[in-house]
Amino acid sequence: MYSDEQLMLEFKRGSQKAFEELFSRYRNPIYGYFRRRLNHSARAEELAQETFVIIIRGAERYEVTARFRTYIFGIALKQLWSERRRELRESRTAEESTEQGPNPDPTKGLWIRDVLSRLDADHREVLMLREYEQLSYEDIAELLAIPLNTVRSRLFRARSEVRTLLDEQSVKEVSR
Amino acid sequence: MNQEHPVSQEELMAYRDGQLQRDQARQIDAHVESCPECEKAVADVKLVSLQMADWQVEDAPEGMTRLVQAALESRARRPESNSAFDWWTKRRAPAYVFSGAIFLLVAVAGISLLFRYRERRAYDTAKSAGLSAEVYSAPFIRTAPPPPGGPPPPPELSSREQLGQGTLGSLQVDKAFSNSPSGPMIIRTVHLALVTNSFEAARTRIESIVQESKGYIDQLSIRSEPKSPRALSAVLRIPDGKLASSLNELRKLGQPKEESQNSADVTGQYVDLVARLSNARNTEQRLLTLLRDRTGNLKDVVAAEGEIARVRESIERMEAERKNFDNKVQYATIQVELSEEYHAQLQETIPNTRTRMFNAAIEGYESASDTILGIALTILAEGPAVLVWLAFLGGIGVLAWRLYVLLRLRQRSRGIDPV
Repeated sequence: MYSDEQLMLEFKRGSQKAFEELFSRYRNPIYGYFRRRLNHSARAEELAQETFVIIIRGAERYEVTARFRTYIFGIALKQLWSERRRELRESRTAEESTEQGPNPDPTKGLWIRDVLSRLDADHREVLMLREYEQLSYEDIAELLAIPLNTVRSRLFRARSEVRTLLDEQSVKEVSR
Repeated sequence: MNQEHPVSQEELMAYRDGQLQRDQARQIDAHVESCPECEKAVADVKLVSLQMADWQVEDAPEGMTRLVQAALESRARRPESNSAFDWWTKRRAPAYVFSGAIFLLVAVAGISLLFRYRERRAYDTAKSAGLSAEVYSAPFIRTAPPPPGGPPPPPELSSREQLGQGTLGSLQVDKAFSNSPSGPMIIRTVHLALVTNSFEAARTRIESIVQESKGYIDQLSIRSEPKSPRALSAVLRIPDGKLASSLNELRKLGQPKEESQNSADVTGQYVDLVARLSNARNTEQRLLTLLRDRTGNLKDVVAAEGEIARVRESIERMEAERKNFDNKVQYATIQVELSEEYHAQLQETIPNTRTRMFNAAIEGYESASDTILGIALTILAEGPAVLVWLAFLGGIGVLAWRLYVLLRLRQRSRGIDPV
């Protein structure tokens, strides 16, 4: 089984199958990355596609200087920032038109989303990258350009806060 | 972290996430098995992860391939052109640097050529207007031609040359000049400006007047430019006794525009000069007598000869000054400014269009060849230095470009600048 980096180098040399393999590996993680951070599934789909388009167009310049996983999520992160800047410019805040996508268990999902929304933005980002994108501490540090110790401390605080908030939620549920 | 719990909470979290080194993980593993509190902390982390995993999103839509497919097809359509594109992409920065340097070189050469051309035009104009190369010393001409007929060497120089040939044998006293003047010594200077309608006749007449009065022309210049009247400027030296008659003749040459006369009495200066000259000659005679009659050591002889040489030099300088006085007194100076009465005339022969176009083409060809030659000369003169600068700046540019590419790659790998 080829690694992501090997596949990307193969694609750089012209192998379309290598890209198809990469696409199959990352289409759901990248879509999920955008889907959890945006309120519009259509926009998440577009941005996920644009991320892969950037990968295709930049394949000629690709060099193995970091893990491919970090590379692709770096592009996705940049896309997300651009999207949020665009939303700010167009004053189209998430509260104005929130679309809930299909969810296997909407109740639980909403519960977690509510807890996450109450976290500090920096802490939340580190926690989500770790829990949902399954990035290592080093990848997160490189992606966000912050020290490794900062990643650990932010992640620890974020988890502690989530634990506290979830406990509070549980107490409320029981008291009802 | 304390003695009871040698592992921090963050380390327990990293242990749970599998983000520790193997040795460290093994140690914590051993501790967690024996420590219920730490085991619970690990379980809490796991619980949070499990709870967060409840938020699942749907898989990517099946149709999420439209843009990706289009990009793939677009990439597949230009496989052959990639080589040229890549070549250009890789060499774009050096090519830009090189093009910029060439542009800079041509611009510098062009500007330099333009300045040189303008300087040369100005020089040619000045030259045709009668100014000597000394008066107009164009900065671009490194080997300026010497002015025709340079001024005669100063009298002091010839005197010193004579002095160098020997002092004792050349001592001759001109008693005729040692006498004091019999009357006042007056230097006369006249400035006369005339306008004439017959320029050539007036010029010929000036020469005959000078000849008749047994004087001489000290300086004469004529300026003639298209569409402007001719002008003559002359300095005449006329014997003092014939000044009045010569002036009368000169006034007849045209309409007087300006006339002024100036007289300077130099009798006192002349008497003083003659007295100093006489004293110097006496001193020289005494020194010669002393040198001839007395015997002494070599040092005294050398000192006496040095003193004689100094006195002789001052004598000759004063003699030259006295001769200059004599000349100025004996010959009055008349500065004549003669200008022609100008009548504008239509151009008699207007060249036809064909001739004018031919002339224009010739001028254009000459101008183009001058320009090309100038550029070639400038490149030859400045090219080596520019090449050195190009190599230096190009090297810096290539290094900067590589550094920029490296930084971009690093940033891209971090996701800061993915495009």
